[in-house]
Amino acid sequence: MKYVWPIVMLVAAAGLQGNLPKAVSILGARPDLVLVVLISYSLAADPAFGATLGFFAGLLHGSLVGFSLGSFIVTRTITGFLAGMVTARLFSENPLVPALSAIWLTIVCEALFLLANPSPDIAIAFRKVAGECIGNAIFTIFAFFAIRSLNTRRKIKLANARI
Amino acid sequence: MLSILREKAVLTLLVLVVLGVGIGVGHDRALDSGSSFLISDVVSLVVRPGASVFHMTTVATGAAARMARPRHSLLKENADLRREVTRLRKENAVLAEAAQENQRLRVALGLKESSRTEMISTEVISRKESTWFDTATIDKGRRAGVRKGWAVITSGWRLIGQVLEVDAFSSRIVALTDSNSAIGAMVQRSRSSGILQGQAGDYLVLSYLPKDADVKVGDVVVSSGMGQVVPKGLVIGRVVKVVRSEVMGSTKALVRPSIRMDQIEQVFVVKPGQSVPQ
Repeated sequence: MKYVWPIVMLVAAAGLQGNLPKAVSILGARPDLVLVVLISYSLAADPAFGATLGFFAGLLHGSLVGFSLGSFIVTRTITGFLAGMVTARLFSENPLVPALSAIWLTIVCEALFLLANPSPDIAIAFRKVAGECIGNAIFTIFAFFAIRSLNTRRKIKLANARI
Repeated sequence: MLSILREKAVLTLLVLVVLGVGIGVGHDRALDSGSSFLISDVVSLVVRPGASVFHMTTVATGAAARMARPRHSLLKENADLRREVTRLRKENAVLAEAAQENQRLRVALGLKESSRTEMISTEVISRKESTWFDTATIDKGRRAGVRKGWAVITSGWRLIGQVLEVDAFSSRIVALTDSNSAIGAMVQRSRSSGILQGQAGDYLVLSYLPKDADVKVGDVVVSSGMGQVVPKGLVIGRVVKVVRSEVMGSTKALVRPSIRMDQIEQVFVVKPGQSVPQ
């Protein structure tokens, strides 16, 4: 049951990803909304949850793109796992935490992806990763706090229902 | 080591990674053989409606933004369109006359009627879904007769790319600019032919040209029809730079595509073996 909403959000992000206007591009790369949703949910959860959600995120994104489905699944699974590990180690009230987490997790995710799918132009690849990091960081700040607020409300409702 | 493996999270990660590798291998095999991959098909069925809704919203928002303009701007556009209609009517009359003359001459010379090009009209519902691949999704799939490898063009017989993967109701297309894309192409003027490859950027490279190939900046590059899947003569772009390597004994040309993936809305999937009107 705890996977239903995150997966619904991943599907929505995957649908929106292909319709993002070019205006939101930074250094030639658009933010990866599927990765943003994955990081935002996994930061507020445990590594096992992050890895499982990452698996679904990779499956969705890879199926949408049509290339390198395996690379998408593996890189997103590892990213979700790592994002889940952040929770226990960092105090996440500060908006810088999700933003900085999004940056390093995007770097790890895309570095792993590029290991399996080398880019013909390294300079372009660096530029795109940098642009995606910035975009993901901005979107993650909003997504992380929105998701946390929703989760808190749901927990309160559940607690009230039990009482 | 064993104690780490016993941890639930690490075990979950390992199982999922192995499963991911397995799915990836299965998908790559299906892609190579041109057959469908069940998991992708199911995921597509789930994601497509959402993508279509977002696409329709984007189109409607764009249309609303265009409508909400000052009156003088609309009047100017109206006047421009009226002038365009008058010009096109004149052009149409001239072309109708030329077509009739062409028909009469064909009959007189006993030439066969050139075959009509069979195409499937589709709309792009999402594009550039990943940072690393130049792909898009169109709203027609196996049910509409689309097949893997077929050429995808837009108005003016301009080649955009090829069909990469097909499911029941939609297909993924890969642009010529994608680094995984390679097709046979030639310089229209001199007929020097080579292989056109994407570079994951804004330009394409026409390589494997002979050392003394007759190619100049500004030349139009068209599809060569090699492999008989992509029809011959589809416009690809213009040469912007020529690199001749004395050591390798070869010539390369940098080509700017005539159209980019982000500029297209409506595309046509062309069945193999079609002739392009010259």
